[in-house]
Amino acid sequence: MKKLALVLGLMALILVGASAADKTVLKFYYYIDATQAGYAEDQALWKKFQAANPDIDLQIEINSSQPYHQKLQAYISAGELPDVVYIWPTSRDSSKQIQDQKLVKDLRTVLPQDLLSKFSPLALDVNNQSSHILAELPQAFTYTTTVYANTGLLKSLGLKVPTTYAELKALVPKLKVKGIQTLALPDADKWPAQSCLFSTISGRLVGDKFIDDVKAGKAKFTDEGFVNALKFYESLYKDGVIDKSNVNLGYGEGPGIFASGKAAFFVDGDWRVGAFLTDKSTGKALIDPAAQKTNFDLVNFPAIPGEINKGTVSAIAGVGLAINKDLTGAKLDAAKRLLEFYYSKEFLTVKWETGAFVPSRLDVTSDKLEPLAVKLPLYYKSIPKTTYVLDGVLDPTVFNILNDGLQAIGLGVKTPAQVAADMQKAQDALK
Amino acid sequence: MVLPLRGKAEKNRAYWFFVTPAFFLYLLVFAFPIVLSIILSLSNYNGGKMFGGEPWTITGFQQYQKLVVDPAFWLALKNNVYIVLISVFGQIPLGFVLAYLIYRKIVKFGEGWQAMLYVPAIISVIVLGIMWRLIFDSNGVLAEMMNQTYASAFSAGLDHIVQGMNGTFTITDDVVRKILALSNPESLSSFANPVSDVKDLILSNGYSLQHIDAFKHDLTNLLAPKWSPDFMSQQDWSMIPIMFVTLWCWTGMYLILFHANMQKIDDQIIEAARIDGATEMKVMWHIIVPNLSGVIGNAAILCIAGSLNSFALIWAMTGGGPMNVTQVLAIYMYQNAFVGVPNFPLANAISMTIVIFSFILIGITLYLEKKYGGKEV
Repeated sequence: MKKLALVLGLMALILVGASAADKTVLKFYYYIDATQAGYAEDQALWKKFQAANPDIDLQIEINSSQPYHQKLQAYISAGELPDVVYIWPTSRDSSKQIQDQKLVKDLRTVLPQDLLSKFSPLALDVNNQSSHILAELPQAFTYTTTVYANTGLLKSLGLKVPTTYAELKALVPKLKVKGIQTLALPDADKWPAQSCLFSTISGRLVGDKFIDDVKAGKAKFTDEGFVNALKFYESLYKDGVIDKSNVNLGYGEGPGIFASGKAAFFVDGDWRVGAFLTDKSTGKALIDPAAQKTNFDLVNFPAIPGEINKGTVSAIAGVGLAINKDLTGAKLDAAKRLLEFYYSKEFLTVKWETGAFVPSRLDVTSDKLEPLAVKLPLYYKSIPKTTYVLDGVLDPTVFNILNDGLQAIGLGVKTPAQVAADMQKAQDALK
Repeated sequence: MVLPLRGKAEKNRAYWFFVTPAFFLYLLVFAFPIVLSIILSLSNYNGGKMFGGEPWTITGFQQYQKLVVDPAFWLALKNNVYIVLISVFGQIPLGFVLAYLIYRKIVKFGEGWQAMLYVPAIISVIVLGIMWRLIFDSNGVLAEMMNQTYASAFSAGLDHIVQGMNGTFTITDDVVRKILALSNPESLSSFANPVSDVKDLILSNGYSLQHIDAFKHDLTNLLAPKWSPDFMSQQDWSMIPIMFVTLWCWTGMYLILFHANMQKIDDQIIEAARIDGATEMKVMWHIIVPNLSGVIGNAAILCIAGSLNSFALIWAMTGGGPMNVTQVLAIYMYQNAFVGVPNFPLANAISMTIVIFSFILIGITLYLEKKYGGKEV
């Protein structure tokens, strides 16, 4: 009897092993913040994909923020790029090497034309990607500067959303008297100040042509216009618009500070809308839908004195999925099916409904959007023009100095002129 | 049964039998990575497959030349030296003295003290780093306590000003000037004309003697001096909290090490010295220290090696920031390897400098131990 059980057991093991061996293993390195609303819905969709594709053994590894880039960098360095990865269109951290060395396939040759034709021309423009191929299919067009305003709080204090910097500055004592910060910008992770605010300031005060000229050696960061942009950033701290404590606040702390009414405004990317929506797994929201409708809004950053590009906001072709260039045969087919699922109407609708982004696929609609998600396209419409996100166009050796420099300016340990000189030195070293 | 004496051949066989596996293991886990690191530090290899991937060649000492002119490297090295100093001249002497106090029963509840002092060494350094970050943070416990103190003092000052109004609530320019004199100068920077602006603000909010608490509360929010841990963003000063936590975290480990070894010393020697009139200090200095000189030397080597590799605690506490002022060599290496633009040759060059400095410092320690250690005076 024991021998029979042993033989049966061994047979079962062999069968299980054989069925596992038949599956195509697909390693997928995916970016999502597991603490953000929408995570449960996202994971449910991947389970659905696995159920619909039993021949694929999908191995998803999840990470977010800077640790995502660090681990992806380690994968690239080890020559172990996963089969499908979530990447940025330009030089942002780990994506630089992927784009520069074309470590991924041109999706124009992989994805069917009838799927690609459903996306906005901006998403398909390969000039938005530093590799000049469709290395990833941008899931959205990302506005990296979005001012979240607690209009309910302002109204309760008899205040209005400012349209000029002078009006914003005038709010500082009126809010501070109630123990409320004016503008929250947690910057311990270094990139938020540059990506989510300074890029817009630079765009408004010097514009994209100036940045192109600096890269071409025809202008310098030490020129008056760019130093003035840094000086304006400095004035945000000196005028008390941004409290110095923000320099030491982690990126994840912003939504909580804002939603709890400790700051009247919060500046972040448009993707942060998702942090405030209802988490379907718990039924809780940082800002409940009724309050989203009446007490919160997404607004443009106020007019800056001396701006030459009025109302401009930094924006960039969004992130998306890419396929390892070495994939062939069954693996490539599996990766292709994964991307088709990710860029499907069903998946992107859920992403919009959970506030992750407004899809670049044009036929996606929904009647289940929470008020703040509805306000996103309205915010986009209010923006007259977009400008560069600096970490998308400058070399990392230069924008890393800017990231450090913005922290230094905030803490008052470096002057705008010093930061500009440091940046120019790094830019000159690239020649 | 008497076993025959081992022959020379048998001894040789036994020697090679036991030594060979360990030797190959050593080559695999220690020598191979170091040699590979040296090669990479002299190359232009920048990720991917080492063989069959992008071609790479030996380019010489370029990365080392980059290092010596990079201020970030010298800052990281200086910060590492601080960690080495607090470890060797902080943890070891303190651990030794505490161990001696417990060993000689100069303090009561020795075992309790041992356990209490050793606890930080068994908790994850990441947890400890986050805990201390929450204390030293600009919104942390320390800042909260300091700001409560400032707010209380400011509020008491307002009380004094209100008492001077003799039962009325008349806000004149003089009253505002007195309030501003108590205030944080930084908080006045958002006013074009602080006296008239603050006066307008007070008048527009309609405060009265009946609402004096609201008046005090609001003005404290607006004008009370604020304490912020600015030293955490200044070179050198920013290392003080890290050095303090390093001292707190690992002193207990050396206490245990020294205490265990003190227990091996013959009690009779100490008793004889005491009968001959030696003080506790003399016993410690002339009997315990020489007997433990080898252990102290080994502890110093552990300290130096650990200090030059310190990463997790600082990473969790500050991430090397703000503005890289708390960066040490290991973080500097990590950032060059895995953050932003990867530069593997440079990261390997940094690793090699860590190894070289470790060897130099350990060499000095061994020399000092050989020269001065183990001599009873």
